[in-house]
Amino acid sequence: MTTRILLRRSLTYFWRTNLAVIVGVAVAVSVLAGAFLVGASVRGSLRDIALQRLGQVDYVITAGLFFREALAGDLLESEQLGGVVSAAVPMISLEGFATHQESGSRAGGIQVYGVDERFWELHGFDGSELAPAPGTVLVSGGLARELGVATDDTLLVRVQKPSAIPVGSLHGRRDDLGRTMRLRIREVLTPSTLGEFSFRPQQGFSRAVFINLGRMQRDLELRLQANTILLSSGSVGSVESATGVAAIEMALRERAGLDDFALRVRELEESGVLVVESAAGLLSDDVVDAAVSAAVENQMVEQPILTYLANEIRLGDKVTPYSLVTALDLEVLGPEVSVSGGSADEPPSIVLNTWAADDLGATSGDVVSLQYYLWEEAGALLTQEAEFRVEAVIPLEGLAVDQDLAPDYPGITEATDVSDWDPPFPIDLDLVRQKDEEYWDEYRTAAKGFIALGDGQDLWRSRWGQVTSLRVGSSGSISAEGANRYRAAFRSALDPLAAGFVVYPARELALEAADGVTNFGEYFTYFSFFLVVSALLLASLFFRLGVEQRLKEIGTLAALGFDEARVRRLFWSEAVVLSFVGGLLGMVGAVVYAEIIMWGLRTWWVDAVGTTLLTLHVSSLSLVAGLVGGMLAAVFSIAWSLRVVVQTTPRALISGSLPRPVSRNRFTGRVSGLARLAPVVLGLLGSLVLFVTVLGAIGDTAGFFGAGLLLLGSLLTLSWGLLEREDSPKEAVSSTWSVSRVGLRNATARPGRSVLCITLIAFAAFIIVAVDAFHLEGDGSTGRASGTGGFLLLAESLLPIVHDMSSEDGRTELGISSFDDEAFDGTSYARFRVRPGEDASCLNLYQPKNPRVIAPELAFMSEDRFRFGATLAETDAEAANPWLLLNRDFEDGAVPAIADATSLAYALHLSVGDDFILNRDSENPIRLRIVAALSDSIFQRELIVGEQSFDRLFSQYEGYRFFLVDTPPDRMVAVAATLEDRLSGYGFDVTSAEERLAAFHRVNNTYLATFQTLGALGLLLGTLGLGAVLLRNVMERRRELALFRAVGYDTGHVSMMVLVENGLLLFGGLGIGTVCALVAIAPAWIERGGQFPVLSLAGLLLAVAGAGLVSSLVATVMAVRTPLLPALRSE
Amino acid sequence: MLEITSVSKSYQTPRGSLDILTGVSLAFKSGDAVSIVGPSGSGKSTLLYILGALEPPSTGTVTLHGVNPFGLSPVELAVFRNRQIGFVFQDHLLLPQCNVLENVLIPTLVGFDGDGAEDRARELLGRVGLGDRLDHRPAELSGGERQRVALARALICQPPLLLCDEPTGNLDRAAGDVVETMLFDLHQRQQTILVVVTHNVELAEKCPISYELVGQRIKRRNL
Repeated sequence: MTTRILLRRSLTYFWRTNLAVIVGVAVAVSVLAGAFLVGASVRGSLRDIALQRLGQVDYVITAGLFFREALAGDLLESEQLGGVVSAAVPMISLEGFATHQESGSRAGGIQVYGVDERFWELHGFDGSELAPAPGTVLVSGGLARELGVATDDTLLVRVQKPSAIPVGSLHGRRDDLGRTMRLRIREVLTPSTLGEFSFRPQQGFSRAVFINLGRMQRDLELRLQANTILLSSGSVGSVESATGVAAIEMALRERAGLDDFALRVRELEESGVLVVESAAGLLSDDVVDAAVSAAVENQMVEQPILTYLANEIRLGDKVTPYSLVTALDLEVLGPEVSVSGGSADEPPSIVLNTWAADDLGATSGDVVSLQYYLWEEAGALLTQEAEFRVEAVIPLEGLAVDQDLAPDYPGITEATDVSDWDPPFPIDLDLVRQKDEEYWDEYRTAAKGFIALGDGQDLWRSRWGQVTSLRVGSSGSISAEGANRYRAAFRSALDPLAAGFVVYPARELALEAADGVTNFGEYFTYFSFFLVVSALLLASLFFRLGVEQRLKEIGTLAALGFDEARVRRLFWSEAVVLSFVGGLLGMVGAVVYAEIIMWGLRTWWVDAVGTTLLTLHVSSLSLVAGLVGGMLAAVFSIAWSLRVVVQTTPRALISGSLPRPVSRNRFTGRVSGLARLAPVVLGLLGSLVLFVTVLGAIGDTAGFFGAGLLLLGSLLTLSWGLLEREDSPKEAVSSTWSVSRVGLRNATARPGRSVLCITLIAFAAFIIVAVDAFHLEGDGSTGRASGTGGFLLLAESLLPIVHDMSSEDGRTELGISSFDDEAFDGTSYARFRVRPGEDASCLNLYQPKNPRVIAPELAFMSEDRFRFGATLAETDAEAANPWLLLNRDFEDGAVPAIADATSLAYALHLSVGDDFILNRDSENPIRLRIVAALSDSIFQRELIVGEQSFDRLFSQYEGYRFFLVDTPPDRMVAVAATLEDRLSGYGFDVTSAEERLAAFHRVNNTYLATFQTLGALGLLLGTLGLGAVLLRNVMERRRELALFRAVGYDTGHVSMMVLVENGLLLFGGLGIGTVCALVAIAPAWIERGGQFPVLSLAGLLLAVAGAGLVSSLVATVMAVRTPLLPALRSE
Repeated sequence: MLEITSVSKSYQTPRGSLDILTGVSLAFKSGDAVSIVGPSGSGKSTLLYILGALEPPSTGTVTLHGVNPFGLSPVELAVFRNRQIGFVFQDHLLLPQCNVLENVLIPTLVGFDGDGAEDRARELLGRVGLGDRLDHRPAELSGGERQRVALARALICQPPLLLCDEPTGNLDRAAGDVVETMLFDLHQRQQTILVVVTHNVELAEKCPISYELVGQRIKRRNL
C-alpha cells in the first residue's frame, strides 16, 4: 500500500464526483484557453491576411503630390538604402469608382492601382505575363463578385484626375475633375496572384483593379509620374523598421529632385535671373522660405512676385478687360517709380504700363478700380473690387513686358488668342476687343498693372500661398554653374516630408494593426471571466461536495495518525490530478470551443468581423497559458474549499459533520469580526471608487466596473453573513408563511453552498445585464438630437465637390438643372471635407493607425445637431453645443477632434481628453485631442476636426466629399435618386443615414450577441450549480423531509419549502447581479445618452429566473418523491 | 502506563460553557482491559477521544508511557497517534475506495517502520478470519466483517493503547460476539491497554476493570 495507490483508489472510487470536478475544470480551461485561442486566431488570421496582401512590400512611400516614377530607381542608388531595401517599384494608387458596362452595377471606394511588370516582379511573379496591357484591367476577386463581372467584360473605371493646381483656388479645375477609363477585364485575380494586394490593412475582401501604369499616366496626363513607391527588403535582410524608415527618409531627402516637389527653377536669360515656380501656380510659404534661404546662402537677392488676373481695370467708364496685375516691390520697376505711400485714406498705388494707361486714359493720380474674382472655399465665386491710385506709368519695356511674371495657368497662358481662353471661371469674351487680342499677340502675359507686394497679398493671398513666383539674382547675370548651385541649395532646403511625402513601415504597421482594434482575446477573456469563475466555483463546489462526502474518511485518517498537512497533501494531490486531467480535456475543449467561436465569427457573427477569412490558429502558448491559468485557479479554489475541512477536529469529522465555526481564540475571533465587516468595507470601497471616478481621478470604465465588482463582493459577503446567522425561527410552523420560513432556514443550513449558488447566479445576471445594456436598437428617432442628426441621407463622393449644392449657382455648376429645384425644395446639406484613411469603426478589425478624418463646414457647427456624451466643455455655450469645442485652441498645439463614443471605446481605445497621434512614425506627427464623444451616431468611421484645422493639416485634400442631406421624408427617395444621377460623374453614392446607423448597430449587437452567448453559458453553469446544490441539499435532508411528511406536511408544504429555499438563492443572485451590473455600466450608459433596453433586459432576467426555477422544480420533485419509510430508516 | 489526572472537559456554546467531564483521574497499565459505561451524553466518547489524543482536555493531563500527547506539535501528535494508539469506532470507518488489505495498511502509510507491514496485515486479517477476503471492498463485507477489518487496522502498528468506541454497537449479537472474542484475543496477544466505551453490559463485564461515567464524574464499577 502506498499513498499513490490510495490516491488512485480515491480517484477511481469517487469517479462520479471527480468527473464533475474534471468537467468543471475542463470547462474553465476550455473557456479560458479558448478565449486566448480566439484572440490568437483573430490576430493570426489578420496577420496572415495583412501579410498576404502586402506580398513582398516592407515599406511604402506615398505623397500628396505626383512625383517622377524614376525617383524609385534613384532611391535605390542611394547608399542610405544599402542593407535596408533591395527593390523599389513606383505605382499609382488612387481611390476610384467602377461600373460594369454590361450590367450597370457600380462599386465606389475601390482601389485603383496603376502598375507595370515591376510590380509583379517585386512579388516574385513573371511580370511580362501578369502585367495588364494598356487596354485591359485585372480585377480582385472580391470586387469581381461584388460587381458580377467576368473575364472580357468591360469595366469603366473612374478616378480623380490629379491636378497640381488646387481645386479650391481660383485657377483650380472644378468641372473636369475625373477621368473614366474603359477597359477590358483580362483576368479576375486570385489571392495567390496578388488579387488581394493592399498596403492598407482591412479585413474585408480587397476591392481593387490593376491598370497598366502607362495607360493611367497617359489618361491622367501624368507623364512618367507616380504617387506611391513600394519598397521591399527582399534578400538584404531586415532592420528595425524605425531604422528602415529613417534610412528611406534620408534617401528621399537626398534623391528627391525639384520635379518631385512640382517645382522648377528657370533661368531668364534676358534678365539674368532665376525664377522659382510651382506647377500649382502658387508657392507655399515653406517653399518661399526655402528659396529665400538658398538665395541668401548663394549671396543672391530675392524678389517675390504675385500675379493675378483682374477681370477689369476701370477708370470712369473706360474699362480694360482681363488684365494681369503683378504685385511686387514697386521699386524694381525703375527709378521713375517713386512710391509715395500716400495718406492712410488714400488708395494704394498702382503702376500702369503705357498700353493700359493709354487704354484707360489714366495719368498719375487717377484712381482706378480693379475688379477680380475670388473663389470662396464654401463654393462660391465672388467678384471683388479694389481701388488704386495711379502712381506712375511705365513704358513697355523691361518688367513692363516681362511675360514670365505670370505663372502657367492652364486654359490661359497657352491660348493663342484671348478668345481661346478657357479658364475654370466665367469670362465674358464679348468684352474682349481687338486691341486686347493685339496686346495678347504681342505681349501675352505681360502685366498691365503693378501694385505693391503687400497690397496684392492682402487681396489675393490664399491658404496655398501668397507668391506666384520668386526671382533670385545677383548683381551680374547668373552662370549655368551658379544656377545649378542655387538649385542644389534650394533643393536641399526643401524637406520632402514637409511637402507631403510619407514613409511608413507597411509591414510592421500591418502586423501591429493585426493585434486588432478589437482584441478578441482580451474581450473574450473579459467576458469569459465570469464564465471561468463560475466553472471554477462549480468545480470547487463539486470537489467540496465530494470532500463533504468523505468527512469521516478524513477524520479516520486523522485518528490513524495522518497529520493535517498530510491529509491536505492527499486531497491536494487529488485536486491536482483532477485539475490536470480537467485541464488536458480543457485544452481539447479549448480547441473545439475556439473553432466553434471562429466558425460563429465567420457565420452567425460575421456582421461583427466583416470577413469570412478568420480561421483557427492553434497556439500552444495560448493553450498552455489557459491550462496553467485554469489549473492554478482550480487548485486554488479547491484548496480554499478544503481549508475549513482540514481545520475541523477529527471528532467532528468522524461524526460526519462540519460544525459551524465558533470563535475559539482571539485570532479567529478577529478574522470572524473582519469577515462580518467585509460587506461594509467592500461597500465603502465601492462607494469610494465610485466617488473618485465621478471626480475624474479614475477612468470611467475601470472605475465604474471596479465599483460594480466591489459592490458585488459587498452584497455577496453580506448575504453570506445573513445566511450564517443562527437566529431561531420565532414563528410557529403552522401557516404557509411559517413553512416558507423553514425553507428560508434551510438555505442557512449550508451557508457556503447557498452563497456559492447566489454567486453563480449573480455572476450570470451581472454579465447578462452588463452586456445587454449596450444592446442598441434604432429608436426610430430622426430628430436633430438623434444618431443621424436629423439627416435622412448621407452621401460620399469619389471626386471632391467644391460647388455649394444649397445654392442655385452651385447646382447649376454641378449640372443639376433648375427643373430639379422642386425636388430639392426644403432640402439642405451639410458638407464635410475628407482626408481618406482607415475605418475607425468596429467594422474594421485592424487597429486604425491612420483613421479617416473629416471636417464639417462652419455652418454645420452652429446647427447643434447630434447627441453628445462626455465632453471637455468649459463654457455654457460649449456644453449646449459641443461642436463649438472644435474651435478650441490648445497651448500644446493639439488639434481638437470629436469622435463617436463607440469608436473611441472599442476601436481607438481612447477617452475624451485623450490624444490620438496621426503620422506617429513620421517626423510630422499630428496630435488630435478628443474633446467630445458623440452618442451612438453615424460618425463611427472617422475623427472629426474643425475645417480650419483641416485646411491647416490636410491642405491637399480639397473640396467636400462627405455630405449629410436633410430632406423631407416624402422626398427622400427622389432626392437620393436625383443626386446619384446628376452627380454620377463625381461618383456620388447616397445611402440612408438610418441604414448606416443600423449597420453600426448590427456590429455592436453582434458583438453583444457573441458575449451574451458566453453569459448564457455562465448562466447554464450557474443553473447547473444551483441544481446540484439543491439536489445535494435534498439528498442530505431526505430524512428531515420525510420526517416533515411523517408529521403531516403534505407535498405542497415540502414543495413550498424547497421552492422558497431555491427562490431565495435564485432571486438573491439575480438581484445582486443586476444591481451591481447597473452600477458598473452607468458611465457607458450615460455616455451613450441614457438609452436603456428595458424590455430585452427584463426578458433576459426572466429567462434566467425561468432556468433557475427549472432547477428548483427538479429538486422539488426529488424531494416529494423521496420514499417515506426508507428515508426515515436510513442513517 | 496510561495516566489521566484531573481531566475536565467543557465546550463553549453560544449559550455559555457546557461541562462534560469533571476531575477524571485514571491509571492503566499494559494488559489492562477497561470498559467505560454510562448513559448517553455522559461523556464516554469524549473521554475516549481525549485518551486517543483526538481532543484535548480543558484541564488536566493525559500521559501514555510518560508522554503528554497534548504537549506535542501537531505533526508529533499525529505520529504519536499512529504509533501509540489504535482506534476501533462504532462505525467501522473503512475507506470505501480501498480493499480490505489496503484499509488495514492505511496507518502504515505514515508510520510503519520496516518492510513487513503487508505480512503483518495479512497475519492480522488471518487472525480475524478474513484471510480470504483481502481484496474485497468494504461494501462487499458484512457489518461484523468490516468491524474485524477495523480491528486489524487498529492493531497494524502494534499500538500500546487500543481504544474502542461501541465496537459492537452496530452489530447483531452473533457478529458482536465474534468481534468481542477477537478483540480480547488480540488484546491478550499484544498486551495492549484496552479501553472500551460501550452501552453493552455484557461487553463491559468482559473487561476486568469497569468504570461508569455519571454526572460528569467517573467511578469504578464493582463487577
